[in-house]
Amino acid sequence: MATILPPAPLNRPRTLMVGTAFITSAALMFFGCLFSIYFSIRSDTLAWGMEWFPENAIELVPGGMNMATLSISVATMGWAVYAVKNNDRIHAYLALILTALMGIAMINQTVFYYMDIGLPIDHSEAALLLYVITGAHLVMVGIGVIWLGLLLLRAFGGQDTSRHRDLVSAASIYWYSTVFIYIFIWLFIYIGK
Amino acid sequence: MKNESTVVERIVTTTESATLSRYWMVSALIGLLFSSVAGLLVSLERIDLSTASIFSTADDVFQFWTAHRVALVLIAVLPLMIGLATAIVPRQVGASRLVFPRMSAFSFWVWLFGALIIIIGFLANGGVGTPEATSETQSVALTLVGVLLAIIGICGASTSVLTTIVAGRAPGISLLNIPAFSWSVLVAGTMWLATLPVLVANTVLVYVDMRGRAPVNFGSEAVVWEQLSWAFTHPQVYLWVLPLLGIVAEIISAAFKNKISNPFLFTAIGLTAAAGFGAYAQTYFDIGTPVFEEAFSIIQAFIAIPAVLLVVAFISPKIKDLKGFDKQTTTPAVLATLSIVLLLHGVVVGAVHVIGPLELATRSTVSAQIVLTLGAGVLACMAAFSWWGELLIGKSISQRKILISGLTFHFGVGIFAVADFLVGFTGQNDFTGVSEFAAGTDGSSWVETLNVISFIGSLLILLGVIAAIATTVQHVLSKTPATGNPWGVDAPEWKSKEKEEVA
Repeated sequence: MATILPPAPLNRPRTLMVGTAFITSAALMFFGCLFSIYFSIRSDTLAWGMEWFPENAIELVPGGMNMATLSISVATMGWAVYAVKNNDRIHAYLALILTALMGIAMINQTVFYYMDIGLPIDHSEAALLLYVITGAHLVMVGIGVIWLGLLLLRAFGGQDTSRHRDLVSAASIYWYSTVFIYIFIWLFIYIGK
Repeated sequence: MKNESTVVERIVTTTESATLSRYWMVSALIGLLFSSVAGLLVSLERIDLSTASIFSTADDVFQFWTAHRVALVLIAVLPLMIGLATAIVPRQVGASRLVFPRMSAFSFWVWLFGALIIIIGFLANGGVGTPEATSETQSVALTLVGVLLAIIGICGASTSVLTTIVAGRAPGISLLNIPAFSWSVLVAGTMWLATLPVLVANTVLVYVDMRGRAPVNFGSEAVVWEQLSWAFTHPQVYLWVLPLLGIVAEIISAAFKNKISNPFLFTAIGLTAAAGFGAYAQTYFDIGTPVFEEAFSIIQAFIAIPAVLLVVAFISPKIKDLKGFDKQTTTPAVLATLSIVLLLHGVVVGAVHVIGPLELATRSTVSAQIVLTLGAGVLACMAAFSWWGELLIGKSISQRKILISGLTFHFGVGIFAVADFLVGFTGQNDFTGVSEFAAGTDGSSWVETLNVISFIGSLLILLGVIAAIATTVQHVLSKTPATGNPWGVDAPEWKSKEKEEVA
């Protein structure tokens, strides 16, 4: 007797992933513009022999701590995607909670640093750009944390379908891009100053 | 179960793409009216440059001058394009609806709120600042919030449409086989998502610097427009009207019953998009050396020409073959052809105005280029309304009325652009202020005559817009049912319409 095979699944790109990729690209362009303005004005300022940031105003430790925190969150986010893919609910919950906590920790550290930095926003163009770039990134991390929170709520509500899997994968694209942007903040603002 | 939702609830909560499309397009037409009125008043002021006529100061003129451009892009042309795409793209790619319908609906309301705030901001002496910084800082900040909301709405709606094309297509339809309009929307939407966030970044920087303290630099009212203006001028304006290439290709190939080769057309659209990327052309990216400035000018001058010529060269053989022309399609074909003609003129004027020795870069020629290009976009939308009107509003379309509105608008744009282009050679600045000195002219009768002609062009543009709004409203209120597939074309959007009716 001939066996009738089911039709092969259509190899379609997933809508949530594609939509998130578009939005993430837009976010990258947003930060790309801010960084371009930052480098352009910094270059002009230094060329005139003027000071960019005041001496010792930008400390390496807060930026480094944030980078370390977000780097760990990349691993936990990857863990969440892997766990959801394997229908491992407990590990998925744990990984999502840990990733969200990393995001909250990063926000907390940055806000503390804002209060500690002693550099008013209207000190110079450099200060304004510092606050706008890092502030916009904080907003991005905040949105990521809210997204992770919603994922957890849906997961605890018992929703664990392929659509949910897509949601976690889409959230991971967003989260990785958030960390990717922070690499530039860490390298060029905290280290390169 | 009985549906107990009220009319208001239904209006606010609808996620149906055809309804959202109507919302976008009607709102955009009102935005176009606002922009046209602002443009008309500025043209009126320019007739007599010896003194202030209808405005009291140069800053007042500046408010309306910038309102005209900001509204034309953010409240008129882009929403018109998105409105069309919202209704037509899902049908063309075989999707039952937009992929993210709720996001699409949310985007419309965010955009509408932003558009209203922009208009209020300009009317409250805010806008995007003024050269003498006499505007109200709070109102400027309000306008910037409106700009941000409008862009967020446009980006959200674009994402929904783009995802529908990329991931929501019916199985078996490859990207290279989608209709030309959908392709042009895919390319344009991607580029909008690449450039609008840059405008958001500029706006956020200005807004943060402006609020609560003396600005460091970015938030000074005198330099706000300088930072944002790249989005409302050459070459960025090509990107805002990019879907017109798809509209024209669809209508012309159907009218002459001769399909335009997809790879050829798609490449041309892609090249034009690459040429239109203008986010680099802003204040802070000025490298400052003459060599680089020259290089930018050369790129701006020549890169757009081959792309548009490519399209025109390919379409022209079909136009020559008049035997195959379907006379029934006269209105959309005429409007589509005129829109591509306007765009071509816009590209040529854009190329001429960056040639260094002519010194036209800051003259009235800029205004001619902007109005030609964005006018081409509006005219293409009128052609699209004529072509897809039955799908958009579900009623039978009176072609004659659309043709009259379109021709009035076209002649207005043409007259305005010719006058502004020529007066640019006399040295008249893009922004003229309220004195001959500020305008950069000697106030000769030649200049005055050209400015009167330019005013007549503005008046015709306004009349065309009013006629278009009246025609649209009349069609929406009409009770004449749609005829189905009025052109008898074998296109997916009309097939899906037939399927829907059968269902």
